[in-house]
Amino acid sequence: MSFLTPLMEKSWEPVQNPQIQTSGREHTRRAGLRLLLTVVSVLFFLFIVAFLMRSQYPDWQPLAEQSSHPLFNKTLLWLNTTYLIFASVCLQIARVSGHKNRLIIAKGGLVLAGLFSCAFVTGQWMLWQHLYQQGFVVNSHPALSFFYILTGLHAIHVAIGILAWIVAVIVVMRDSPKLAQYIELCAIYWHFLLGLWAILFILLVSKPETYNAIVEFCGLGI
Amino acid sequence: MENELDHDMHEPSSFFTKYVWSQDHKVIAIQYSVIAILVGIVALVLSGLMRLQLGFPGSFDFIDPSSYYQFVTMHGMIMVIYLLTAIFLGGFGNYLIPLMVGARDMVFPFVNMLSVWFYLLAVIVLMASFFVPGGPTGAGWTLYPPQAILPGTPGSDWGIILMLVSLAIFIVAATMGGLNYVTTVLQARTRGMTLMRMPLTVWGIFMATVLALLAFPALFVSAVMMLFDKTLGTSFFMPAILSMGQQLDHEGGSPILFQHLFWFFGHPEVYIVALPAFGIVSDLISTHARKNIFGYRMMVWAIVGIGVLSFVVWAHHMYISGMNPMFGYFFATTTLIIAVPTAIKVYNWVLTIWHGNIRLNVPMLFALGFVSTFTIGGLTGLFLGNVVVDLPLSDTYFVVAHFHMVMGVSPILVVFGGIYHWYPKMSGRMLDPTLGKLHFWGTFLGTYAIYFPMHYLGILGVPRRYFAYENYDFIPDSAKDLNAMISVMAIFVALVQLIFLFNLVWSLFKGEKSGDNPWEATTLEWQTETTPPGHGNWGKELPVCHRWAYDYSVPGYQQDFLPQNFIDEKLGAKV
Repeated sequence: MSFLTPLMEKSWEPVQNPQIQTSGREHTRRAGLRLLLTVVSVLFFLFIVAFLMRSQYPDWQPLAEQSSHPLFNKTLLWLNTTYLIFASVCLQIARVSGHKNRLIIAKGGLVLAGLFSCAFVTGQWMLWQHLYQQGFVVNSHPALSFFYILTGLHAIHVAIGILAWIVAVIVVMRDSPKLAQYIELCAIYWHFLLGLWAILFILLVSKPETYNAIVEFCGLGI
Repeated sequence: MENELDHDMHEPSSFFTKYVWSQDHKVIAIQYSVIAILVGIVALVLSGLMRLQLGFPGSFDFIDPSSYYQFVTMHGMIMVIYLLTAIFLGGFGNYLIPLMVGARDMVFPFVNMLSVWFYLLAVIVLMASFFVPGGPTGAGWTLYPPQAILPGTPGSDWGIILMLVSLAIFIVAATMGGLNYVTTVLQARTRGMTLMRMPLTVWGIFMATVLALLAFPALFVSAVMMLFDKTLGTSFFMPAILSMGQQLDHEGGSPILFQHLFWFFGHPEVYIVALPAFGIVSDLISTHARKNIFGYRMMVWAIVGIGVLSFVVWAHHMYISGMNPMFGYFFATTTLIIAVPTAIKVYNWVLTIWHGNIRLNVPMLFALGFVSTFTIGGLTGLFLGNVVVDLPLSDTYFVVAHFHMVMGVSPILVVFGGIYHWYPKMSGRMLDPTLGKLHFWGTFLGTYAIYFPMHYLGILGVPRRYFAYENYDFIPDSAKDLNAMISVMAIFVALVQLIFLFNLVWSLFKGEKSGDNPWEATTLEWQTETTPPGHGNWGKELPVCHRWAYDYSVPGYQQDFLPQNFIDEKLGAKV
């Protein structure tokens, strides 16, 4: 319970030589990013809760049970997932290389990660097109509506990441000392998005029994 | 840290970078506040129009049932989100956090600037809904589906879409601001400013921001899903339904799901508004009573406790929604538990005043007014928190009276108190105290005259949300007279605000010069080298914090306040 210790301080006792307690700019950026990711987690958590609660209504149709279901064939989903995994791996390699001062590998990893992320967003767009052509539109049924919202929001977050990546690439090309710091921030963000995507993937292709059991366990039935 | 910050602080050179595209937290705070006050005036006018209809039904041709519901909706949404949330977090938060914790600025100034521009965009989108075909939405500020997006509800074509889009933009703005406030408090405090030496104002705003960051996503989720239901024909919230005699395409959706999501945001929202008010009032009372705040640690724990509890009480807004009745027991219990830390705070304010050397300055008057209105509003909350009492009262004016006392009048009194208190720091001049006192007494007594009688109307069973009250046997004529009196007082209170607006502008040019520390306060924002503080807030060196914010009337010292950065030669011996 060490985080409670500061709350036990005797505030009213003055001190003559206070301790320095602030941290560097790098740490501040990391803290800000982690806070942002917490907010994004809450956002998706609430969507997932809404998904689970809505799934308990009689008109719900699963997405990947039978061959007539939109996500029964998961080839495109796996392909896009692979892009995102590659992006994350590249950033991890860049992160480690950055710490060891192997600048060429670090920069290469950063650039490759961005390209894989672009491939992911394009791949998701093509998946949407594919489904659309098969007649699986956003208001076909509620599970599909959730599919479009969740994948869309996730892709928007990847796209925002790509914007940050462009800034990072420009900064890194101009000013190498900040390389490790920017790659670190990008890596944290991309690993998070990969984890989030894994959860969404599992949720969207799960069998009804799986999320019925979760709903039962969490008492989310309305 | 200091050197790095200096490195990042580019002094603005042109008019545009200094006052328009500014990244300085003080300018951003004032931008936030001015936008919030302007949009708040719109909401105030709307409430006046509502009261004209209720007090003098049928006398004004331009108010029909549709426009009445539009006034109600826009009044509620603007006041709660676009005025109170924005001014407490964006206004006071932006101005006070860096100054009070001894930082040069927010940690992400560019994001901070984006935040205020997104806020302005949200306001513009919302105001645009007054000018689209069908006008703004009249769905009530809770925007419950299915009625919010069906024909027959005013503004169901464009108004509701603009409302939902505006809310989504506001949430993006609030998140960008919130990331700054929390990270600044956690990362950029000056030397010696431990968490438990922060003034309660910072604690209140900090905790409220944490709530905002965690609760606004729920509103975002519900807004996006409802936008899909409206524009793309999905059925997240929309059940199979007949509208205007026709079966719609929607099927199987759950309106209750929306209510859960909305109130998961909506209840913490009450505390997003209340916690900064609690913090500011604590500092005003302590400063103007020249006494240390009673039970500082308990006050901090109460703020944290209220923040945590506020996430597990939301369904007390839904007792009559048709949700599982078993939920009521749980949520009634948590609702009543939250009264404990809240009561601790009220007792501590009263005990701080006890035997204080009270200076009845204008900010102090507003602070005392808050304690009074908040206690009244809080006590009626105990009634409504109980399921069996809430059921008959839920759709009556009792609820209107309750929530206006507790989260309308009370926080707005603190907003005024805060402005009277910190205006000298922002402008270098005092607001005129005589006009201030007129403003206080008009507002305080006037709002009591508006909302106190509403409790009686509620107990009589007068229903809220109605456009007109003719031909109901159970509503006596006396209730109509009372309604007329309430309307007169509402117009009166609205007019009294003109005094405040005049004072704001007049004092900017003609007000008495304030000096650096007119209230003889201890917190760091009063210890800056210049007033208003320059870019970067402090001179070459950041202040060092040696003590908490409440060293008033310390025995053995000539002056009755010891600033937080005051170094005492004798200190070593004392400790």
